[in-house]
Amino acid sequence: MDSLRLYFKLIRIAFQARMQYRADFFTGIIGVITLNVVNLGLIGILVSRFNNLNGWTLWEMVFLYCLWILGHSIYSLFFWHIRALEDYLIQGTFDQFLLRPANPFILFIGREVQYLGLADATFGIAGFVLAYTNLGLHWDWVKWVFFGLAIVSGTLLETTINLLVACVAFWTGRSRRVGGLIMQLNSMIQHYPMDIFGTTFRVVVTGLIPVAFMNYYPALMLLDKTDRLGGWGWLSYMSPIVAILMVYLSARLWNFALQRYSSSGG
Amino acid sequence: MITVSHLKKYYQRPVRQEGFLGSVRTLFSTKYETTQAVDDISFHIDEGEVVGYIGPNGAGKSTSIKMLCGILVPTSGDIKVNGLTPHENRMENARQIGAVFGQKTQLWWDVPVIESLRLFRDIYKVSGAQYKHNLELFNDLLDLHEFQNTPVRQLSLGQRMRADMAAALLHNPRLLFLDEPMIGVDVVVKERLRTFIQQINHERKVTVLLTTHDMIDIEKVCSRIMIIDHGRIVYDGNADQMRNQYGKQRTLVVEFEEHVPDFETPHAKIVKSEGRKKWFAFNRFETSPSSLIAHISTSYPILDLAVEEPEIEAIVRTIYQGTAEVA
Amino acid sequence: MKIFWAFTRQAFHNSVVFRVEFWLRFLSIFLWMYTIQWVWRILYTQRPGAFGVSLEQMVTYGVLGMALETFMDVGPEWYISQQVRTGAIDTDLMKPLDFHLHMLARSTGEMLFSLGVLALPTFTVGFIFFGLQMPPTLEAGLLFAVSITLGFLVLFHLGFLLGTLVLATLDIRSIAWAYYSLISFFAGQMVPLWLFPPALRAVAEVLPFKSAYYIPSSIYIGAFTGQEALQAIGFQLVWVVILTLIARWAWSRMDARLVVQGG
Ligand SMILES: Nc1ncnc2c1ncn2[C@@H]1O[C@H](COP(=O)(O)OP(=O)(O)OP(=O)(O)O)[C@@H](O)[C@H]1O
Ligand SMILES: [Mg+2]
Repeated sequence: MDSLRLYFKLIRIAFQARMQYRADFFTGIIGVITLNVVNLGLIGILVSRFNNLNGWTLWEMVFLYCLWILGHSIYSLFFWHIRALEDYLIQGTFDQFLLRPANPFILFIGREVQYLGLADATFGIAGFVLAYTNLGLHWDWVKWVFFGLAIVSGTLLETTINLLVACVAFWTGRSRRVGGLIMQLNSMIQHYPMDIFGTTFRVVVTGLIPVAFMNYYPALMLLDKTDRLGGWGWLSYMSPIVAILMVYLSARLWNFALQRYSSSGG
Repeated sequence: MITVSHLKKYYQRPVRQEGFLGSVRTLFSTKYETTQAVDDISFHIDEGEVVGYIGPNGAGKSTSIKMLCGILVPTSGDIKVNGLTPHENRMENARQIGAVFGQKTQLWWDVPVIESLRLFRDIYKVSGAQYKHNLELFNDLLDLHEFQNTPVRQLSLGQRMRADMAAALLHNPRLLFLDEPMIGVDVVVKERLRTFIQQINHERKVTVLLTTHDMIDIEKVCSRIMIIDHGRIVYDGNADQMRNQYGKQRTLVVEFEEHVPDFETPHAKIVKSEGRKKWFAFNRFETSPSSLIAHISTSYPILDLAVEEPEIEAIVRTIYQGTAEVA
Repeated sequence: MKIFWAFTRQAFHNSVVFRVEFWLRFLSIFLWMYTIQWVWRILYTQRPGAFGVSLEQMVTYGVLGMALETFMDVGPEWYISQQVRTGAIDTDLMKPLDFHLHMLARSTGEMLFSLGVLALPTFTVGFIFFGLQMPPTLEAGLLFAVSITLGFLVLFHLGFLLGTLVLATLDIRSIAWAYYSLISFFAGQMVPLWLFPPALRAVAEVLPFKSAYYIPSSIYIGAFTGQEALQAIGFQLVWVVILTLIARWAWSRMDARLVVQGG
């Protein structure tokens, strides 16, 4: 509980720091919105011209994209700087997280925020509302709860995947480029439903780097398309569990990396 | 207060591999190079002491301080800081120490100083009364109020150092570790920080371990010095000997009109030659620069001269050599 | 010509051919080529031969769009903006060399380097694994070569303008990213203009961006032939001239400002 209180205080300062660069704020928001509009625009053109993509209609694709962007927005608001961990290590600023009587992870995570997530969130909500209406959805409370869980799971998955990769920097000194590649994989998943790809690819994004649980699987559940998975329908409910598993894994690695840091000097 | 026995820290680095996928191979490589950053040191520091911890670059000073802070785990040996083993009780230890690393600030770069201080108050759970009292003290001694509402990135180096010092002492630590706190600071602020360290030491009985490359810091604030070189403590004792050495030793740098051989001079010794320049070390209580110059100029024509105060490393060397000779 | 070669060699020396990053870049290009060709295959199962273009042509168009990016993406905007903001531009201005030409040489050097080191392997992999095909006729191949050169010049000048007009004064990375995604959209890098809804298409047809990907790729797959291809190349040529003029004008203003303000 103490940690949580501390975290909020840290975040408050981080926001205050960001607000020093107000000019960047607006251009940043415009930039992110444009990026999302273009991304969705391309998908929109393709799907409307060809009617559907492997059985996914335009608004289902929009739904898929927005489910991803909603989870991503929280990630980019609060956890974006995980990828910059290597900078903290190289510049030696990581030391001060170990110098305080508080959890180093909280101190690190609370160090920065990135307002661009606000643009993602706005876009995601707008897109979701449009998709929900146009698809004529009427969810019961179970679906709404699962929807919430799916977004949080998406955030956690993106955060933990990035954290796992970032921790590699404790050994190699650098990791951001590898992280960049994994995020490419990630952005393919956000754009297109995974079932258009080959089996190897699907196995990779399900079992190895579980980005498919960020939007594809939960979307199947939320859109009543689980039958597309045949006997694997249960996968569409698994996002929260996979997320918890990933949190556990990345926490283990983080602690291990910290030990190694303090025995090697970074 | 601090007891260190047979402390060692060896850094192991995998030998970097160049070429295709070099860094991947580095990851799995079994070849290591070892740096013996701290190599079997032992010492004891009592409450209220101000210890100057000095030595050339790469001697192992920062490494030792990081171990005392609990950031680094020793390769072997024992540390007790006020009864605690830092790396095993890192958080508890953190409450009783304050640290300033001169090279990098621990404050939030983009927010006013006071916000950082408030945050430290929360992190260290400093009571409201203590916080207020300390802020008043820092205002008195460091003129904190002059810049407490300025973001850190807009502070001068001297102001930043003062703010960092305040942040390190906000929670009334029993111990203060200062790793080159004077770096890049001008003479006036240096003087101020020295007075501040003295006051904190006198009034609150804070034990201080200070790393510096500046002789005057040692002269003014330290009651004891420890000299470390190549990870070993080569001198540990009263700061007076250091002061005496510093007080008496000077160097005369002479540039001759032409190349000259080394020669004997009364009361002075040639310590270095480079091209047409020679460095004469002398004791200023035994001889004066003017008589030395007069003597030299009778032998060879002089082009240019300068008198240098000794650098800390040079004094360290003389002390080190002195003790080595005795031993 | 010698100066172009000098920059190519320099790019080679500065490059990271032997770093993990370099290989990661390949992987990410391959990932995208893989995705694009799947998307088209799936779409074409629904409407074979849609819009008068065969699946093979369409896959070629998509994969080509990715492969071209490996050497077309060498805009001078970051270099210019960085030099201006740090003041290092002075050293560039002191060189007895027209700045615009200097930048062109620099970008061309980097482009030639990427062509050899990145594009060659990418095209090879595209041919073997991702259904990339050769141009149908020799004529199409030759016209493509001309068209891609002009496309490069258009992209270069757009980058030059972005660098001098916007990025040099404001550090707004996010605007740059938005600009890139807009370019890729209007240039038809992934989705050809003939699929655009009519209103959007009308806009995209007159903008210079389509010179970068849409025109060269359409010529490559044989969608533009004969008269139509020549007209498209004429369009590119006009834009190269216009943009060159604007770029030189913009630079002369920037130059004047730099002299007055001392960087
Ligand atoms: N993280 C590290 N990994 C490997 N070697 C290190 C690391 N940190 C320091 N060293 C090495 O350990 C030795 C001691 O370094 P240290 O930083 O303790 O010296 P120092 O006395 O503080 O020097 P300075 O006066 O330059 O600050 C040096 O040889 C240094 O290169
Ligand atoms: Mg040091």
